Amino acid sequence: MSASTTSKAPVADPKNGNGEAVPEKKPAASLEEDDEFEDFPIEDWSEEETQIPGGNTHLWEESWDDDDTNEDFAVQLREELKKLGQK
Amino acid sequence: MPAFQAGLESTFCNEVNLALRNRDANKLQSILVLEPPFQPIYQQLIDSLKNKFPENDPKAEKRLEDVVRRMVTETGESEDEEGRPVASWGQMVSFLVGWMAFIRDINLENLLETYERLSDLQQKANSALQHPTKGILILPTLIRYAKVFSRVAIGLDKRPELIQHLVANSITEDGRRESLPEKAANIVRQSFITCLNDRNTAPRGIKDGKPDGKKVGIYKMANICLKILFQADKLESCQTIFNNIYNSSPPLSIYPASERVTYLYYLGRYHFASTNFFEAQLALQKAYDDTPTNPACMSQRRLILIYLIAANLLLGRFPSAAIYTFPEAHGLRARFEPITRAIRKGDLESFRRITNLDLSDEHAAWFSHYRMFYQIGNYCEVYVWRSVFRKVFLLTGQQGVTERSAPTIDLHAVLLAFQYFERRAHMTPAMAQQDAGPGRRHITFVLQDFMPQGYVDPDFEGLDVTPYIKTPDILEMESICGSLIMQGFLNGFISHKSKRFAITGARKAGNALKAGFPNIWEVISKRKSQDVPGWRKEALSEAAGGGVIRLAGARPAGS
Repeated sequence: MSASTTSKAPVADPKNGNGEAVPEKKPAASLEEDDEFEDFPIEDWSEEETQIPGGNTHLWEESWDDDDTNEDFAVQLREELKKLGQK
Repeated sequence: MPAFQAGLESTFCNEVNLALRNRDANKLQSILVLEPPFQPIYQQLIDSLKNKFPENDPKAEKRLEDVVRRMVTETGESEDEEGRPVASWGQMVSFLVGWMAFIRDINLENLLETYERLSDLQQKANSALQHPTKGILILPTLIRYAKVFSRVAIGLDKRPELIQHLVANSITEDGRRESLPEKAANIVRQSFITCLNDRNTAPRGIKDGKPDGKKVGIYKMANICLKILFQADKLESCQTIFNNIYNSSPPLSIYPASERVTYLYYLGRYHFASTNFFEAQLALQKAYDDTPTNPACMSQRRLILIYLIAANLLLGRFPSAAIYTFPEAHGLRARFEPITRAIRKGDLESFRRITNLDLSDEHAAWFSHYRMFYQIGNYCEVYVWRSVFRKVFLLTGQQGVTERSAPTIDLHAVLLAFQYFERRAHMTPAMAQQDAGPGRRHITFVLQDFMPQGYVDPDFEGLDVTPYIKTPDILEMESICGSLIMQGFLNGFISHKSKRFAITGARKAGNALKAGFPNIWEVISKRKSQDVPGWRKEALSEAAGGGVIRLAGARPAGS
């Protein structure tokens, strides 16, 4: 799925993982792409089966501002900003 | 015709009749198989049909119909237990005849013909479903068929050479060409509507906490329609389904987990594509939370997670390190982290490279494939702006000369930063690196050599088009600053005269950074409701104590 060349052509020929046409055993199933949301193998399940080890409380980072003014990026920008008032 | 002449056909009809009499819908489904390879008994039936009711005999179907009508007595008029008349079920007769003709004639070599025959059979099943009391018996069969039908439709859509003539001839009322998947989805949609509008159910379609009557099929049918439309990239056609469900479905929470999760995935993606990222995030988070961690469900978890991360990113919320450690998140850090890094730092140059319309970035094709490239480019840019302002404030901002004067940022300083980034973004990475080296003071020399190319879409190739080269000026800085203030991402005002942005509320907040640069996620989530169009949650009166709707993902503690 990481190969950007194969993921770019949603209307291209149907093919399997090897990029070859698949024999017509199951005509349509073979035409699926990797971004298809497949049917679940089971119909129903309990809430316990969905628990992530460690819970799902720290999945997202809301405060991510970067205060670092000493790393390269900030140092370069500071240099650039010294032009202020020099014009 | 004497019964012995239609021996095997009669046997099958008998079996069907028995299943109907026992109201055993699953048994009926198991009899009415659709796909090869057929078991020997079906092969015998097919041979018998070919022999006695051949396709080329114009009267064959009429004769078959007579057999079905005579043997499947459950399709006749009758009375229910309380003596009320039950209408005859002629559509079921047509459907059964259609089924026999289908297995007699099926030729998988010919995908188009298979599609057309399936389409015909699907419509006959739709009609049979409409019987007020008995229709429900065909529901499992119909769902099974609709899945096969959708696979064939999706498959055909990817073989344009086979369907050109079909598409060319189908123009909708508003003059638009209707694609084959849309036609297929419309056929499946009929049974979805029949399920949704079933009046022969307990009040509100709920019995013992479960969907009653044909309403049990609402989300199964909807999900099949949505799958077809999504695979064919016809998201705009999904709106009606979501509206219908929102307006008249029993709550989603009483349906099996697989149906809920699948539906919320499509709903989330639909909202994502419609730029309703908050609604998308709510639906996708619930879908993700409710998907089993079982490795067998890895592909579903991964797809949901990809869109969930993107939706959060677009709301100013970044994936934590923990997410990237999940097995389904394999490889996602390399995709998303360059973007979050650029936003954090205010690195507009890197952001421009990542979102360059020529798809030159190594991950651009991937984002484009998942249909999130333009959203990220357009909407996250605003967050980069905010970070540029913030970084410039950190590097040059004035805290306010007296205790009473506000901290300010010189918009000319912000302009310098923007110009610096935009200029570098037009260079090749090698050139930009050189520009940052020891010789970077000689910027005039670099600029002499450097002419930005700009982007011209391939659609305009050969035309005399001058690409737009972005060169920010002070007016644009005021405009961007104003836009950030309006969106709530900067807190303060612009002094047009001195070309400065002044932060308000710094003393109250304790520091200028906190006061001037509100948290993006907090700003957005505060003004959004938890309501998601298309997501039929529990009715308020029933929700008390239900506890099925978990909003943990929407607003974690401490935010």
